[in-house]
Amino acid sequence: MDKLLRDKKAITVFLMPALLLFVVVLFVPICQSVYYSFCEYKGLTAPEFIGLKNYKDLLKDKSMMFALKNSLFFLIFSCVTQLVMGLFLAALLTNIKKGRNLFKNIIYLPCVLSSTALGLLWMFIFSPKLGINQALEKFGMEGPLWLMDTSGFIILPMWVIAFVALWQYVGQSMMLYMAQISGISTSLYEASYIDGCNKAKSFIHITLPLIKPMVATAMSLNAIGSLKFFDLIFNMTEGGPNHRTEVLATHLYTQGFKYNKYGYASAIGVVLIVMCLIVTGLINKFVKTENYEM
Amino acid sequence: MKKKWMAVVLSVAMAATLLAGCGGSGGADAPAADSGESASAESGGVQEITWMFWDDLNATEDLISKGYGDVIDRFNADYEGQYHVTAVTTNLEEYYPKLNALVASNETPDVFIVSPGPNLEVYVEPGVAAPLDDYLADGWKDTFTSDAVFSQMTYDGKIYAIPLNIAAACAFYNTEMFEAAGVEVPKTWDEMLDACEKLEAAGYTPITISAGTAWCLSMVAGYLCEMEGVDLAALEDGSASWEDGKVESAAAKLVELSRYFQKTAAGDTNDVATANFYNEEAAILIQGSWAIAQINGSNPDFESKCGVFQFPGVDRVIAKSDSLAMSSSTKYPEACIAFMKYFTDDTAQKYTAEIGGKIPVTSVEYDESVAPAQLSYVMDVFSGAEGTFGFYNESMPSTEAGAYFDDTMVSVFLGDMTPAEAATDMETFYADNCR
Repeated sequence: MDKLLRDKKAITVFLMPALLLFVVVLFVPICQSVYYSFCEYKGLTAPEFIGLKNYKDLLKDKSMMFALKNSLFFLIFSCVTQLVMGLFLAALLTNIKKGRNLFKNIIYLPCVLSSTALGLLWMFIFSPKLGINQALEKFGMEGPLWLMDTSGFIILPMWVIAFVALWQYVGQSMMLYMAQISGISTSLYEASYIDGCNKAKSFIHITLPLIKPMVATAMSLNAIGSLKFFDLIFNMTEGGPNHRTEVLATHLYTQGFKYNKYGYASAIGVVLIVMCLIVTGLINKFVKTENYEM
Repeated sequence: MKKKWMAVVLSVAMAATLLAGCGGSGGADAPAADSGESASAESGGVQEITWMFWDDLNATEDLISKGYGDVIDRFNADYEGQYHVTAVTTNLEEYYPKLNALVASNETPDVFIVSPGPNLEVYVEPGVAAPLDDYLADGWKDTFTSDAVFSQMTYDGKIYAIPLNIAAACAFYNTEMFEAAGVEVPKTWDEMLDACEKLEAAGYTPITISAGTAWCLSMVAGYLCEMEGVDLAALEDGSASWEDGKVESAAAKLVELSRYFQKTAAGDTNDVATANFYNEEAAILIQGSWAIAQINGSNPDFESKCGVFQFPGVDRVIAKSDSLAMSSSTKYPEACIAFMKYFTDDTAQKYTAEIGGKIPVTSVEYDESVAPAQLSYVMDVFSGAEGTFGFYNESMPSTEAGAYFDDTMVSVFLGDMTPAEAATDMETFYADNCR
């Protein structure tokens, strides 16, 4: 085996399929997209180089501003709530003996369900003529227009969608934290109890420092996932009313596939990738991780 | 440090999967229409063609769509062993993105439905749609009511699509609610506001409309612009300005009228807004006469209490037609033309009027007594009008300009913009993109 791994030709042969796949389905389209972002490209005719015009137009695009604001909101909301809720649920479930697997499966279940189906389901729940508002009406109360209200800096539909996304994906964060927590040796906790720690203190002084690498990983996944977020929004509001719930991915879709502005959509894609790069860099810079023997 | 770089690279790769979706497969210098590819194929001597349409022919309640399903069945039965057509269907919202994706991947449907004006121009300009003059010259063109029906499908003197029916944008109203509220059919703008006031006082929602589907609200805005004397051609060539006060006044009227819309207008889709009407939750629906097929298909009992009047305060009426275009890359143009002729033959056109409630495009005679009652009201509106004009968003220089107008009018309705700001915004957009 060692001999094989020292054979550079063998390594090249083994790596080639993955490398080819990466280049063909990812690297080439990315390069194409970056090129198209400098072009007027309608998809049905050849692209025409226009320099930075698409990027200049992005700055004047009101929907882009909504999309940028909503994506940043989503990013912050997801990172914070998924971290807090995921950790809370993970700590809770690792400390209960009965029903752990049941609750774990229930909380994780939305992650494996189709986002399209869930989006439609929640759209019905928040529809003025079905679901929550009808239930409230039975008690003589009038519910808000959950997915239609456009007042406020961050409008109500964005909070609603963010809540649904939290409900859907918190199970994923929880599982990551649980995996890390279950790898911590019980002897560390026993030692802490002998030294006078209670459960809360041992969580703060033992669990939290030891799961920091997973926090960085989970936060990176959350951050990129929220910047790329598309399916729930598309199914619940389609970016409306009047583009107010647009995020970068839905705006990209609308511009590219509805209005045939592939060059402009590619520019949005480039902005998205740059944002992902910055956010991941920041998380790696500020969430300092050290590996301990567990 | 290496690990961090690796994390960054992997993260970016994940994000890039989204960006990768924008990468075109057509290539920089391979316009779809020039590839010679199409969705057609020959199997066992039968020429197979495809037709793309914006409604599900099996699940639909829309009587016009059902009629199109009948056309396919008749065609396939009559040409068994020679031609065969397969319908490729999707919902209206996703129709153009899917059609464009097929065109970009050299799988253009042989025949596809398309709205006239800038929507059709998108396919004419790169040569995706084929000119049809040669096929029309065999006497087919003479079956249409007039050459005017082709006006929005003609580019550089060539006809690129065939109209299937004509619809007019009208105000549909619930006669029982009008009677109960003591309201007469309004003829002027003030009477319209007065009617809405009385309907509201009587406990009814005066108007149901969709701002969630922006073109529905924009249709009303189009009428209000017409009322104020807006000249789209002059706006395009720069001899008039959006800021001359007319559009501002029209937008102000829109705000005035919006006081009477249903509470959920901001998010309701076209279908929901129409359902509000035929489920008797609102008194007035301002919509194209294609809604007749949807109304009667969904609630047949409602036909007897559904009246129609012309949008008050204007002399002309908004008219629109669905049309069929043929792919320039189809292998079987004869099959496509034979298929398209089935949509304009007497059987299909009689169905259009008698069942669908739309105005036929040919001179076919139909039985008015069996046609939906609303059709005769629409015909009255047509005959009483001084002329027609197109949907605003389909009469602008590009689909993008039309969509911008739609969004701007929705912004005015939502209070995100004042009427004056809307006019300035449109002027800036036109100056930058349309002149």
